[in-house]
Amino acid sequence: MFENITNSKIGSALVVGGGIGGMQAALDLAESGIKVYLVDNKPSIGGVMAQLDKTFPTNDCAMCTMAPRLVEIGRHKDIEKITYSEIESIIGKPGNFKVQLKKKPRYVDEKKCTGCGACVSNCPTRNSVQLIEKEKVALQPQYVEKVTSIINKHRNRKGPLMPILQEVNAAYNYFPENVLKYISQEIDYPLSHITRVATFYSSFSLKPIGKYTLNVCMGTACYVRGSGILLEQFSEKLNVKVGETTEDHLYTLKAVRCIGCCGLAPVATIGESVYGKLQAKDISGIIEKKKNEAVEYAKVNN
Amino acid sequence: MAEKKRIELMVCTGTGCFAGGAYQIIDELKKELELFGLKEEVTVVATGCNGFCGQGPLMVVLPDNIFYGWLETKDIHHLVEEHFLKGRPVKKLMFIPPEQKEPLPLISDIPFFKKQLLIVLRNKGIIDPEKITDYIARDGYLAISKVLSSMNPIDVVNEILKSGLRGRGGAGFPTGRKWQVASQQSKSPKYLIANCDEGDPGAYMDRSVLESDPHSVIEGMTIAGYAIGSTNGFIYVRTEYPLAIKRMRIAIEQAQEYGLLGKNILGTNFNFEIEIREGSGAFVCGEETSLIHSIEGNIPEPRQRPPFPAQEGLWGCPTVINNVETLANVPVIISRGADWFSNIGTETSKGTKIFSLVGKINNTGLIEVPMGITLREVVYEIGGGIPKDKKFKAVQTGGPSGGCIPAELLDSPIDFESLQKAGSMMGSGGMIVMDEDTCVVDVAKFFIQFTNDESCGKCVSCRDGSDALLEVLTRISNGEGMDGDVEFLTELAESVKDASMCGLGQTLPNPVLSTIRYFKEEYEAHIKEKRCPALVCRNLIEYYIDPNKCVGCLLCIKTCPTEAIKGESKHIHIIDQEKCSKCGQCMEVCPPKISAILKITGKDINNMVQLTELISCKEWKKEHEPAHS
Ligand SMILES: Cc1cc2nc3c(=O)[nH]c(=O)nc-3n(C[C@H](O)[C@H](O)[C@H](O)COP(=O)(O)O)c2cc1C
Ligand code: SF4
Ligand code: FES
Repeated sequence: MFENITNSKIGSALVVGGGIGGMQAALDLAESGIKVYLVDNKPSIGGVMAQLDKTFPTNDCAMCTMAPRLVEIGRHKDIEKITYSEIESIIGKPGNFKVQLKKKPRYVDEKKCTGCGACVSNCPTRNSVQLIEKEKVALQPQYVEKVTSIINKHRNRKGPLMPILQEVNAAYNYFPENVLKYISQEIDYPLSHITRVATFYSSFSLKPIGKYTLNVCMGTACYVRGSGILLEQFSEKLNVKVGETTEDHLYTLKAVRCIGCCGLAPVATIGESVYGKLQAKDISGIIEKKKNEAVEYAKVNN
Repeated sequence: MAEKKRIELMVCTGTGCFAGGAYQIIDELKKELELFGLKEEVTVVATGCNGFCGQGPLMVVLPDNIFYGWLETKDIHHLVEEHFLKGRPVKKLMFIPPEQKEPLPLISDIPFFKKQLLIVLRNKGIIDPEKITDYIARDGYLAISKVLSSMNPIDVVNEILKSGLRGRGGAGFPTGRKWQVASQQSKSPKYLIANCDEGDPGAYMDRSVLESDPHSVIEGMTIAGYAIGSTNGFIYVRTEYPLAIKRMRIAIEQAQEYGLLGKNILGTNFNFEIEIREGSGAFVCGEETSLIHSIEGNIPEPRQRPPFPAQEGLWGCPTVINNVETLANVPVIISRGADWFSNIGTETSKGTKIFSLVGKINNTGLIEVPMGITLREVVYEIGGGIPKDKKFKAVQTGGPSGGCIPAELLDSPIDFESLQKAGSMMGSGGMIVMDEDTCVVDVAKFFIQFTNDESCGKCVSCRDGSDALLEVLTRISNGEGMDGDVEFLTELAESVKDASMCGLGQTLPNPVLSTIRYFKEEYEAHIKEKRCPALVCRNLIEYYIDPNKCVGCLLCIKTCPTEAIKGESKHIHIIDQEKCSKCGQCMEVCPPKISAILKITGKDINNMVQLTELISCKEWKKEHEPAHS
């Protein structure tokens, strides 16, 4: 890495984030003679610490720690503050980066502004709430019909979320992000709530899963009859860990807890088919059996 | 019911037999009956779970009550010809008790069925669960008509109180008291929920009830709804039970058709609706407050009680949650009276309980036994003992919240109190039998792994406590246990118990505590001697080939997935310990006559290492190998 930086080295640094850490870093760099650009996406530097009264665990006064640094940054000749700006892209190597920033408009001429605050107190719309119009989520065409019909079927019943999620999951085997956003918009549940529910249950997934779910029962009855070893064997043969999907998207390997066939323990299921009284030596056969279907599947997909 | 045929074939189509190909058997039966021209005389009925799942696919021939098990499609032709045409029952397909030669033709002679007392499962295997007429023919829906025509809601609550029925969902709370509290609430609407989330691994009673007799649950729910003054019922079924959901759906439709559900039931002004809700694979959703959150579409974490659901439940309204089995008891109690019911069972636990008898036992299946029966009767008489003459070690009841009950306590009765005293609990009724080949440390680890996965994460004690327990148990089973680990586990387990909010956290340490209580010496063997007496913990065992037995047949070499076995035909094979992944497949394939593969632990390993070195040396080979070639 270091051989690349010998001659193209640039004598300036960019510090991202103007919180207490970023400020100290900027000061240290500037003190050692390097030109510093200090970027923050807020209109001013200071970060979270500016909002605190005391700091943990020493109970020091937060402002007393910050204020001297704020002042020093304000007047250091080698520190250039670029606030209210977002980083668009970073390219290059250590020693020589190119960073593109996007400065958000302030609608104020910064060169002339003295920070007196008179505009704030005189602004006639200061106290009106400015709601950002939420962007409407549009569904990709392949989901429209199915998802809207599911939502319409359940939207008027009490507690519509679970039935909707269950049917969507049954239709696609997972939740495409956009579909969750769409559900959130349609039944007016916060997206964060829906995501929490969707990630709570083990039969839901946010990632696409395989065509077949290979469930190996790890219920007690199966476990005492040796399903632990079977699971390992499946995992080895399919070359995936539990919970993962094979590269060809054919199998997702899962460990489930009791499918109620304890009399046949140990048990595994693939889709609708149940394999009871399994032995390690049967495993290859079972995976093999689905091979033909796998070939067909590949044909359809290509 | 359709007119009676000469012979009825009750083929079990519960999930176990379904998986074993029950529907293929039915198709074959129909085909063969047609072939022999018996279609008019013999009918085939697809019933719910018969209970004797270990024998599936199976059927019972009525009216003679002859039992056939382990059916295969190739046997059907012979069976139809011999039995149904010529009237000679086929001995080959009958149940033969382990270690005996003579088959037992009659279902009533089979010990598995003999000791049982069927109340909840009274209709199992006798009716077609998809036909309401079958249920009605067996006195179904009589209880609801009795209730609606001659009882006030208060009378119903009192009757249930008097019967002493306690919840079958785990805790054993008196059902009548719960109903009483709910019926006294002034707020409305009120809701009734039947809990069929049945997350306990190794238990499938509730599923079986729904699959074999869904109408009894509907009737029980309707009566409960009447008693507490509710018009809306939910039944919460886990999504892993598609067959149960399907049958319930059919049953609800039929009941609506017959005016037994919906508006103005049986011409009275009582209305009751039932809606099915599905769970999506979270164990904690079986907990009542969590289940309520799940139906509401909220984050399914439990909440603090009180207020109890009977006071403030679904959407803030009074809600009674009962287990499916509890509700299925209700119609029988109403029709036969509280006194009859309270005569069955023990002082504090009345009636019967369904258990799923699984694990290392000869007769696996579902059983319904009166409370107070001893474990010994269940394991040895109904269950037919342990396969392969192994020694009984323990029976685990109560699922992840329960504990292991050792052989010393085999004679204690099964009821809510005795099980609790033994450090376990009734739970929903899983009964997993373990033999000497089951390692208790491994079992404890298994359950903690389960609860650790399923903890909702709200309480630190449950979330992180189970993590810590798991870590120590894993260490012990890996042979890295330290002095003081057992004491640490006990102390930690107690604090998890005390500090968790819901039943999951409060009972999660039970498997650890009960195994420490009864099998401390096994923990000690793992920790001090690095030995797993049951030969289960992977890091403590090694596989070896006994040079005195190996005939050099190459079978194990061909099977070993990691190519760890060296050797040639007719020469002694040797396992390379570096490569061995300890999957045990070589042991499976080694012919039973020879059984040269040894699984050993502890000190034995050292002896074996020396022997193996010896075999590898040339001198020894010269002396011994020719003997085989
Ligand atoms: C973690 C946890 C899981 C539970 N799972 C179930 C279950 O699967 N089925 C059930 O009926 N009750 C379950 N319960 C018990 C319920 O909370 C509730 O007590 C029961 O449904 C009440 O019905 P009962 O009075 O008829 O027993 C569970 C409790 C806990 C704490
Ligand atoms: S005890 Fe465990 S499962 Fe129960 S609420 Fe607390 S964290 Fe959740
Ligand atoms: S424990 Fe595996 S099916 Fe029940």
